[in-house]
Amino acid sequence: MSEPRAVDAAILVDDVTCRFGKRAALDHLSLTVPRGTIVGLVGPNGAGKTTLIELTCGLFPPASGRILVFGRDAARQPRDVRARIGVVPQETALYEDLSAWRNLRFAAALYGVRDADRRIAVLLDLVGLSERAHEPVRAFSGGMQRRLALARALLHDPALLLLDEPTVGVDVETRHQLWAHIRGLRAEGRTVLLATNYLDEAEALCDRVAILRAGRLLAEDTPAALIGRAGRCLDFVCTPSERSRVAALLRARVDVLRLEETPAGVTAYLATGAAAEEVARAVIAATPVESFRARSPDLAEVFRALETAA
Amino acid sequence: MREHLHVVRAGFCLEMAHAAASRTFVLLTVLAALNFLALVTLFGLTGSYAPTAIVNLDAGPYGAAFVRALENAHHSFRLEPMSAARAAARLRAGTIVAAIVIPADFSAGIAAGEQVPIDLTIDNVDVDLTDDVQRALPSAIVAFGRDQHLPDINVTAVEHDLLPRDTGYLPYLAVSGLALDALVIAGILGASAMAREWEGGAAKTWKLWRLAPADPAAVLAGKLLAMAALASLALAVTALVVIAGYRIVPRRPLELVVGLLACVAIFTCLGGLLGALARRTQPVVPLLFGLAMPFYLGSGALEPARFDGELVWRLAHLSPCYYAVGVLQEAVHGLRVTPESPRFDLVALLVLAAVSLIGTRLAIVRGRIR
Repeated sequence: MSEPRAVDAAILVDDVTCRFGKRAALDHLSLTVPRGTIVGLVGPNGAGKTTLIELTCGLFPPASGRILVFGRDAARQPRDVRARIGVVPQETALYEDLSAWRNLRFAAALYGVRDADRRIAVLLDLVGLSERAHEPVRAFSGGMQRRLALARALLHDPALLLLDEPTVGVDVETRHQLWAHIRGLRAEGRTVLLATNYLDEAEALCDRVAILRAGRLLAEDTPAALIGRAGRCLDFVCTPSERSRVAALLRARVDVLRLEETPAGVTAYLATGAAAEEVARAVIAATPVESFRARSPDLAEVFRALETAA
Repeated sequence: MREHLHVVRAGFCLEMAHAAASRTFVLLTVLAALNFLALVTLFGLTGSYAPTAIVNLDAGPYGAAFVRALENAHHSFRLEPMSAARAAARLRAGTIVAAIVIPADFSAGIAAGEQVPIDLTIDNVDVDLTDDVQRALPSAIVAFGRDQHLPDINVTAVEHDLLPRDTGYLPYLAVSGLALDALVIAGILGASAMAREWEGGAAKTWKLWRLAPADPAAVLAGKLLAMAALASLALAVTALVVIAGYRIVPRRPLELVVGLLACVAIFTCLGGLLGALARRTQPVVPLLFGLAMPFYLGSGALEPARFDGELVWRLAHLSPCYYAVGVLQEAVHGLRVTPESPRFDLVALLVLAAVSLIGTRLAIVRGRIR
């Protein structure tokens, strides 16, 4: 994917710093979310993901820098910006005593949705909750509540969706259902900014991934490019008695960045450009191993590598 | 403007839907309004009309006249004629406070100009009741002497009333009770409507307000209006009991309606602020109960606060009940119980409502969604 230009951006984060007291929640962060894409915000708790979502909604202004949403300054035109954004917060923010229909009816009023009843019916059908429209949300499973929250975010037909940990705490089946919904949003031409702690989720869904740490952007690219940017991995299968010898050999090499002992043996993370075959041959020549395999790292391993480097 | 009204309506419908889903809570809150009326009424009923035995052993005219003087002396007595033996038995049983015995030679002694002792046996378990009886008996003796034109009673009081008619203690308390009701009922409903937005584990529904383009003040107005409507219903029932049950006819019915509605709306806003600050229903309900009693008792609810001394009167200004009692006593009894005018009292309450609304809105819009 080519580098997006600012005019194509659904969200343009321009050198944004945000402080809470002395702590910088975001530190000179710049990021572009192209229209019609799913961009993942990945990082540990406290990385600044939710703060970025709050700033994008114009809930408060940044200390410096600016965020443009479809060309509008979120801090200066917050209501205009919010009218174009659908948000699924970490907590579902549903009235549990009230029915799904009543929840959506209230949200429709907040967003000034015309012909609300028809729109609610369409969305309940979309998320598979039509038959339970008049049951109290309290009776819904966690996954159903997430789907209802997603339907609510879509009520006013927003061009941009901000999803803050949308699959946290749901089972695997529901997670895949939600993923299908999110992919469907992109297919409709919507832009999605997805904050998640799950790297497999980011890898499975996102066109681009921004990795945050302590309010700073560590890396931002397509998942494939991020994985390609990191060196390859070497998994050695060996006996427990050989494990320390293999590890020592690998540790002595400058082209091995990091080691992890696994139940089966040792995994080595190589520097970019290091020749995996050559490293493997050097180890095998010095000590017996049962087998080895060279592979690309997954996003989680890229994330750990970037974190270690940072 | 139309969009704002649409959001206000949505907030109203939302809160009404909540009320429909929590019918028991709403019913108990409405009943609480009647309960508070009963509570304040008990202030008027207890400590007065202490059951007192009158044992009249005298067959002459002065004995009967003295009993009449006792009956008219003070509301401390509820006289029950009985025999000396029964009076003694009931004193021992603790069902009467005192026994007053008019001796058999009472009339003869009075006619002869002698000093006649009246025997008073008293259960001094509670000095408050004892004091009432002890105070009332001499005043009855003076009244008896004056009525019977006995010599040596040369002083008499000539009363000039400031007001054309007296207002009974119970009618006064009942109206103050409406102010207390408005504070507690409207306050609790307003507080629970707001605190609920922060409760419910995964709910935290206030975030929805923050993330939407609508002004949170419009949602807030709708929600508080709904709670004020429910509180008004509770207060209407209570006011009907005051009017029909206690036979207290308001002198200015329209002012009463406006005053009550204003108090309800204002105290709903105050409750809303407390709910938004506490963010939990559990602490805010006892907080409101805890605040209500000192606010009520210190507000001139039992008598005008200006008669309670300078310090109490100044402190009373901190109580929203002070202004509410001022407005309602004026409407029902035509009484000016605060030195300030009812209009001033109403303005003070409106300022409180405005501060509460601004504070509540700030509590919402300043929160982070994490």
